[in-house]
Formats: sequence, C-alpha cells, structure tokens
Amino acid sequence: MKLINKTSQGGSIIVMSLLVAMILMLMPLPDSVRLVRPEWVVLVLIYWTMAAPQRVGVGYAWLVGLVMDLLMGGPLGVLAFSYALICYIVMLTHLQIRQYPIWQQAMSVFSLILLMQMIFLLLTPLSLDLSFGLPALSSTLLWPVTYAVLRSLRRTFHVS
Amino acid sequence: MIIKPLFSNDPSLNLRLLLALIASTVLFFLDTRLNSFASVRSNLSAAVYPIQAAASLPRNAVDWFSDFFVGRQELKEKNAELEVTNLLNNQRLQKLEDLERENLRLRELLGSSFRLRDRVKVAEILTIDLDPFSQQVVINKGERDGVHVGQAVLDAQGVMGQVVRVSAFSSYVVLLTNPNHAIPVQVNRNGLRAIVTGKGLAESLGVDYLPHNADIRVGDLLVTSGLGGRFPSGYPVGIVESIAYPQGKAFSEVRVKSSAHLSTSREVLLVLNATNIDAEIAPSANKLGDEIDQ
Repeated sequence: MKLINKTSQGGSIIVMSLLVAMILMLMPLPDSVRLVRPEWVVLVLIYWTMAAPQRVGVGYAWLVGLVMDLLMGGPLGVLAFSYALICYIVMLTHLQIRQYPIWQQAMSVFSLILLMQMIFLLLTPLSLDLSFGLPALSSTLLWPVTYAVLRSLRRTFHVS
Repeated sequence: MIIKPLFSNDPSLNLRLLLALIASTVLFFLDTRLNSFASVRSNLSAAVYPIQAAASLPRNAVDWFSDFFVGRQELKEKNAELEVTNLLNNQRLQKLEDLERENLRLRELLGSSFRLRDRVKVAEILTIDLDPFSQQVVINKGERDGVHVGQAVLDAQGVMGQVVRVSAFSSYVVLLTNPNHAIPVQVNRNGLRAIVTGKGLAESLGVDYLPHNADIRVGDLLVTSGLGGRFPSGYPVGIVESIAYPQGKAFSEVRVKSSAHLSTSREVLLVLNATNIDAEIAPSANKLGDEIDQ
C-alpha cells in the first residue's frame, strides 16, 4: 500500500517540476535577457529521463513537447519531436551519463540542446542570427544548479 | 525498493521514437496545411491556457503591489497631469467633430461611403514571453468575446498587428515586426501607396518595392491604406527613419520605426470589422464611451 502511495507521489513531483519549468519559460524577461533564457523544460526533462528512465520515456517527452508547442504558439509537432529525440538519446546513454562528472554532463546537455535548436531552425522559416546557441550556453551553465535542486527533490520525495 | 532493469534499451525504444516521429509529422502537416484543423488546435490551446495565466501572475502581482503603495502626492501629480492632457485632447476633439462633419458632408456630395470611426474592443496582453523570434503576443480575449482570425489590433499610438489564431479564452496576435507579415500603407503626406514588412527586430520595419525616385522622405508618417481589406484605413503604422539608395539595386531601402509601442504596450484595441457592425454613423456616436466595449 505504502509503495503505491510513494510511486504516485513521485509522478506528481515530476509533473510539478515540469510545470514550474514551463512557467519559467513563459515568464516575461527584459529584452536583453530574453535571448539568453535557458531551456528549463529540456533541462528538467533530461534530469528525469536520466534519473528515472522507467517513468519519463519517449512518449512522456513527446507529450511535454506538444504542450510546449501549444504554449509557445509554434507549429505543432516541432518541439514534441525534438523532446522525444532528446529523451531517446538520454535513454540510450543514461547509464553512462549518470557516471559522468558534472561538467561532462553539462557538455552532453550542451550538445543535446544545440541539436534541438538545429531541428527548430530547420522546421521554422526564420533566419540564423547571432543569438543562436545562447540558450544552449546558458542551459549548460545552469545544469549544475538544476541537477542539485532536482536531485534533492528526488531524494526528499523518494522518486525513482 | 523497486528493482530497476539494468539495460532499459530494449528494442521497443526505437519503435517508440519512430512512433513519435510519425505522430509529430502528421500533426505538423495537419497544423500547417489543413485549415479545418484550427478548431482542434484552438481547443488544445484553451486546455493549456491555465499555464499561461499562471506565468503572467507574478508580474501582475508586482503591478498590483506597486499600485497599492503609490503615494498620495504621486497620485495628485499624476491626476493634475492627466487633467491637462484631457483638456488638450478635448479641445482637439471639438475641432475633430467639426472636421468630421465637414468631411462626411463632402463625401456625401461625392457620393462615396466612408467610415470615420471604427468600433473597438479593449483587450490586455498576457505578460508572457513566447519564442523571441516568432514576434507574437497572447491577448486575454478569445472566441467567446467574438475575436476572429484576421482582426486588426491597435494600441493607443498605432497599428500593432493582427490576430492569427483564436482559442476560447485567448488569441495570438502576430506583430508588424514579424518577417512574414506585410501591411498595405500609404504616405500620409502625398498618398503614395507602399507595403511595409517586418524585419524581425523590435520596432523596426521596412518598405519594400519602392523605386529610387519615389517621393518619400525621412520623417514621413505612414498610415494604413485600407487596401487588401484587412486593416481599417487611416491608422498610423510608422515613421520613416532612414532611406538608402543602394547602387545596382532596383529598390531603395527604407527603414520605418513603428508608431505602436510594440514591446511596451499592455492594453490593446481590437477593431471590429465592418461586417460586424452597421456602417452608418449615428448622430449619438460622438460619445466615445459608446464605441468601446469593455
């Protein structure tokens, strides 16, 4: 009985953290900082896929991406597919990534988010400019913080 | 303790990615190619609206608090300032009434129908950021308030853009600065017609396809021409900022600064189309309150 309780609670913790990340993505920021906004939702998604791959899988990531497509007002399916792809890569390598030192994890995060931005660039009719890659950079820098926060959440609420 | 499988990359993982790819592709084409899919999307957007509303809450709370703690002195000063502007506006309005009547009489003489005032609806921009490159905003009026796709959106200073997508409680407005957006204008000084397109940057627009000898100068005001039937005519779009004549190119490069405060406005006006209202101007229409649906 107790076990069932805990597992359902774990699910709601994941959903809550994703909701907070979505709100952070939508929060108004001054123009100078907007372009550097880290990809919060992807960071959270990468963490949960890595730490609890039996909970957050490709289908889950696809749904989260679909919600983001709707929130951001872009064409449907673009973010959904990129999130699913990122989740797939993390699922394939989660056993290795878990063992990496934190800076090496951050480098993996950098390449994953850069990959996502390239997909976005291919599918939306906008031109490449200087700010391309800035979100990947800021996400990489914020990965250690996100990791620490989510890990303490996971340990407090026994999400596995 | 749940026993975790050591190797979770079973063959079904590839299958799941394939399914995600197929589902995304289908959705992408339905969304971008099929017009009848818009209603499905609008329902889905309504479902995620609470998240958008939640994201705009902190900013609204900050606004509310700063309103609450405004000093009495500050309010008095602001009130005095507003009274002066009101007086000036009223004086201009008297003149306008007169001119409007005269214009109407002259138009009647010419036998052409013309609408001087459009009915508007007030909406508020949700304080959330979308993708910085998409140049769109979300407003808090939707299908239930009679908003429809293609409706022109203004702020107090000029044209902001048009509605591109409507859901039950909110709608998406594409701004003039979107590179895919174009609006028919004319130069207020001489009536020269042109097309203004977005340049993707904040408050920066450009005029396309004007030959080098076109009569346009720095400081010219561009207003909507009403051609194309989407935007009502006569609203300010922008002011010409600079003109360059690059050699070897057929058209001049005209930079325009938008009149509307695209990145700072909070309240916007939605123009009701001529099809929604009767085009005649009632004599009582000189009360501004009649024209604004709250």
